[in-house]
Amino acid sequence: MDAEVRVERLSKTYYPKQRKGLFKSERREVQALREVSLEIRRGEIFGLLGPNGAGKTTLIKCLTTLLLPTSGDAWLHGYHIVEQENLVRAAVGCMLMGERGLYWKLTGRENLIFFGALYHLPPKDRRRRAEEILGLLHLQDLADRTVETYSSGQKMMLAFGKALVNDAPVLILDEPTNTLDVPSARELRAHVRELNASGKTVVYTTHIMAEAETLCERVAIIDHGQVIDLGTVDELKRSLQRDHVTHIEGIIPERASQAVAALPQVTKLATSVANGTTRLTVVSSDGRAALPRLIEALTAHGALIQNIAPEEITLEDVFVAKTGRSLTEDTRVR
Amino acid sequence: MIAEASLGSKLSIVLATARMRMLNVSRYKGQLFVEILIPIVFAAMPILLGRATGGAAAEANFLRNTGTANYPAFMLIGSSTFIIVTFAFWLVGYWIRFEQETGTLEAIYLTPTSRVWNAAGIALYSAIRSMISGSVAYLIGSLIFGVNPLQGQLLLALAFILVGLVPLFGMTLLFGALVMKVKEANSLVNLMQWTVSLLMGVFFPVAVFPPLMRLLALAFPPTWMVNGVRSALLGVGYFFGEWYLDLAVLWGFLLIAPLLGFWVFSGMERNIRRREGVGEY
Repeated sequence: MDAEVRVERLSKTYYPKQRKGLFKSERREVQALREVSLEIRRGEIFGLLGPNGAGKTTLIKCLTTLLLPTSGDAWLHGYHIVEQENLVRAAVGCMLMGERGLYWKLTGRENLIFFGALYHLPPKDRRRRAEEILGLLHLQDLADRTVETYSSGQKMMLAFGKALVNDAPVLILDEPTNTLDVPSARELRAHVRELNASGKTVVYTTHIMAEAETLCERVAIIDHGQVIDLGTVDELKRSLQRDHVTHIEGIIPERASQAVAALPQVTKLATSVANGTTRLTVVSSDGRAALPRLIEALTAHGALIQNIAPEEITLEDVFVAKTGRSLTEDTRVR
Repeated sequence: MIAEASLGSKLSIVLATARMRMLNVSRYKGQLFVEILIPIVFAAMPILLGRATGGAAAEANFLRNTGTANYPAFMLIGSSTFIIVTFAFWLVGYWIRFEQETGTLEAIYLTPTSRVWNAAGIALYSAIRSMISGSVAYLIGSLIFGVNPLQGQLLLALAFILVGLVPLFGMTLLFGALVMKVKEANSLVNLMQWTVSLLMGVFFPVAVFPPLMRLLALAFPPTWMVNGVRSALLGVGYFFGEWYLDLAVLWGFLLIAPLLGFWVFSGMERNIRRREGVGEY
């Protein structure tokens, strides 16, 4: 499959000033990106996962030409991010900075029309595109109110709409569901899926694991400016090779418990009884693959199963295993 | 869809940017009213001082130094032209600062549009706004101080303003680049206001400057602009004797200043993108 975004050994080093009192300051080297290489396939939803300060936004800013990389190369939709910057900008619809990227004294419609002009759309197309977007995002009722009167969630929705103005083949969305309530976040994700189904490549950064798990086909975990791991969500989980825990509840005779314990995949078994219900905690080495055998062993020995709850490995588990830290930690260099 | 960037679409960006700023300022109506008063108040002080201290000898002295005895008109033209000049200077700088602070500067940089077209849109907006403010202020001020606003060659005066504005906008790109770098506009504007008013001779002819100052003032396009307007309306005398020669000098500035401004602005943009990015404020 073609690469829509190709990044080769991309590095970005900042030299921010560190204040040492009223007048003194000294510059300090911060490596925000360290030789990042990755490929994002055409037509996929690709997640960039990492805690605050991991380098996700710096990578996005380099890809969208807001920042010049210190070294390395990257291509977006076949265009080089430094040598063909205007073609890159035309090929990407971007939602960065959320509601701050809008003119609050203009109405929603005026914002969309203005940005349409900046993407070189002819006047008639700007208005048509603005109407399409307002309709798609159900913002028609707000269209003629100044943005300052919108709620935070409505502003975020309009900012998302702004990313659609140029109908670009690549969408880059940086934490788009921040400040959205649950139904609005769900609606936005549904729009992202629809846009992806219509052929757009989506790069989606988030620090909400559930969002990445449900939305993204592949995910790159970024920390301290480096890609730590990259793959499908399942691949990343499998790479953990951790013991899997399954909780089973029901009327389970002793012989059924013993049959489960005797299975070769089962490494540990704990049994407890409460209110006439037996609860087995089964630790197995090959996770879901062992589940049919567990059920077979239990039912063959007269167990009446009421509930089976495999403990899922989450991306958070993967992140913790790879980095030794939680995704909610802030890793910004201070 | 990737729309092609034709010259037409670039000019369309200029108009869209100017329109956007018009819409924006239309939501601050009080500001538009107040800025008409500024040149009148600004000119009132020297005019009233002149009336308080001047007599027949003072008028003759003023005539000898400036070429006209009509000092209220001289001051009013100076202050009205100054409002046009000062608008041209600080609007691009303030625009960059405003976009930096609100977060929309990054949003603009994400689009496939050279900032020069945006700046041209801001310049167009500022030219329209300042021309209206300057003209209305001149008319009201003329009524207040008993000056005939229709005297002299109005069209020629307008030509000096319009030709003079272009190099000014070129220079304002230099100022915009400075604002982008230091991330501060107010103190720069404050400094600039006084320097500009001094150099262009808002209330006096630059002939009264010492030689070095006079040379510096003559290297500054607004000096030629205000003298051209005064000469067209009051007949104070062109620097080179003829209106077309002074206008030619302004055309010279017109060719050089925008190129210099563009070069410095582009270099600053690249430098900032190499460092912390345009979004830092």
